[in-house]
Amino acid sequence: MKRPLANTLAYALFAAAVAATGFGLKNPYYFQVLTFIGINTLLAVSLNLLTGYAGQISLGHAAFFGIGAYASGIFSTHFGISPWLSGPAALVLAGIVAYLVGLPTLKLTGYYLAMGTLGFGMIVSVILNNWSAVTGGSSGLYGIKGLTILGVNLSQGRNGFFLIWLLVIATFFLCGRLVDSRVGRALRAIHYSEQAARSVGVDTAGVKLSVFVLSAVIAALAGVFFAHSVGFISPGSFNFLMSVRLVAMVVIGGMASIWGALLGASLLTILPELLQAVAEYEMATYGLILILVMIFFPEGLVMGIRSAYEHARNVGKRAHPEP
Amino acid sequence: MNTHETSENGPILSLEKVSKAFGGVQAVRDVSFAVERGRIHAVIGPNGAGKTTLFNLVTGVYTPDAGRIVFKGRPIAGVPVHALVALGMGRTFQNVELFSGMSVLENVLVGRHCRTKAGFWGAVLKPASVRDEEGSARSFALSMLDFVGMAHAAERRAGDLPFGWQRMCEIARALAGEPELLLLDEPAAGLNASETRELASLILKIRDLGVTVLLVEHDMSLTMEISDRIAVLDQGALLAIGAPREIQADQRVIAAYLGA
Repeated sequence: MKRPLANTLAYALFAAAVAATGFGLKNPYYFQVLTFIGINTLLAVSLNLLTGYAGQISLGHAAFFGIGAYASGIFSTHFGISPWLSGPAALVLAGIVAYLVGLPTLKLTGYYLAMGTLGFGMIVSVILNNWSAVTGGSSGLYGIKGLTILGVNLSQGRNGFFLIWLLVIATFFLCGRLVDSRVGRALRAIHYSEQAARSVGVDTAGVKLSVFVLSAVIAALAGVFFAHSVGFISPGSFNFLMSVRLVAMVVIGGMASIWGALLGASLLTILPELLQAVAEYEMATYGLILILVMIFFPEGLVMGIRSAYEHARNVGKRAHPEP
Repeated sequence: MNTHETSENGPILSLEKVSKAFGGVQAVRDVSFAVERGRIHAVIGPNGAGKTTLFNLVTGVYTPDAGRIVFKGRPIAGVPVHALVALGMGRTFQNVELFSGMSVLENVLVGRHCRTKAGFWGAVLKPASVRDEEGSARSFALSMLDFVGMAHAAERRAGDLPFGWQRMCEIARALAGEPELLLLDEPAAGLNASETRELASLILKIRDLGVTVLLVEHDMSLTMEISDRIAVLDQGALLAIGAPREIQADQRVIAAYLGA
């Protein structure tokens, strides 16, 4: 059993890389980009639990990101509640919404589930845009307080970077443990054959609902951090486009892989920064990348790179036969 | 018929005047029979006789239009499929439905799902009780793989195995749930002659564990060889029921099979 050791090593290396980056960097722009990568990674991991492992497609995942951000933003600005309380309240709210939405929609499968979640995403988007008295409408919600402890702001700059990546590492750890457990095996079994999973005693409806709620709560966590980090949110960050972007992150990085989610989120956060000149063509660019990845790396970039590496190693072995 | 048998003494499964139609087609009509504990029962019949429908009725996938099915003394109407498994009913599929991307051992571990308890927090926190449970689930799963002769393939990806091996692994997965009644849907389909012989001896071994076996089968030689009792379906109705020798001598069965 070498896998747990390799996993621990990977986590340790990753944590060390995060620490080194955090202490080494000075440029605030880099911190901002890396913080966004952290937020997107959290979102990609949450969607990956649902889509990559359990095989349930969601085209409305940005809605839970929005519910987290708006609920915590509204509670803290309109009611003056501390972000340390409004945040958890937002997570609970997102969990309840996910439960109520998941109850009927998770009876659907495949394209129908995608359509159902798409509809849910649209509804949330419409509410954020039009319930102006509470959400600020299309001009957004301003002046959201930062997460502070004793006057130190933990949600911006270097502190923000550390906080979000700490959340990412914690979520990686949580998902890693979950996937390699009784519940995780049931999740993956549902992906391959829901009928067979049911026939060996898995309460498939219950497992799907639980992972949907968990996934929504993690997405809402990203939303809470986003709202208090940036201080300003508008419906545009949580629309259908964002849901598609999240699906693209998961597919490009690789389904059912924690590191794939990290890679996909990083690429799709950095690319728009690099391609600001062609920002109008963002969707077209995603489409093209998705097509290319599907053609050349149908299992995602992480698996693609791994099999390319193994292929190269085997070729190397053949070229240098043992004496 | 006495419907208040205790679950220990009466038949493990009984069908009472069960009927099921799809549109205008009466797939199963008025079928009644009982499955005694500790035996190998077979349901045979020509193509389109209603065997698969009957199988899906017993496993709770379909609900009968009329009549009822009683498992261990309780009617199964309204009991979800996964709860039937927890009650002690295991099954395999005609076309083998393994979780193809998971290892063989993981497949069998999923079969252990209904006999284990660890939930979300158990998975994340991994207290000693969960580690113990996981350990004993693993050794139980391995012992089931060993029982069907597939322990050597435990770490392989299930979808990569040859078809015959996949079928054995699927049986191991069903056994991991410790069923009292094991339902096999055409277990010999797609197997070659030597694999079918291995299957026959495996089914006998399963019965010797004390597990009741109900198989729906097309392959006559297999059923005649291992079954204690055979029910013959024809055009959705029960044509005959009895020991293999009686069935082989039954003129109506011969006629149905030869199409005379």
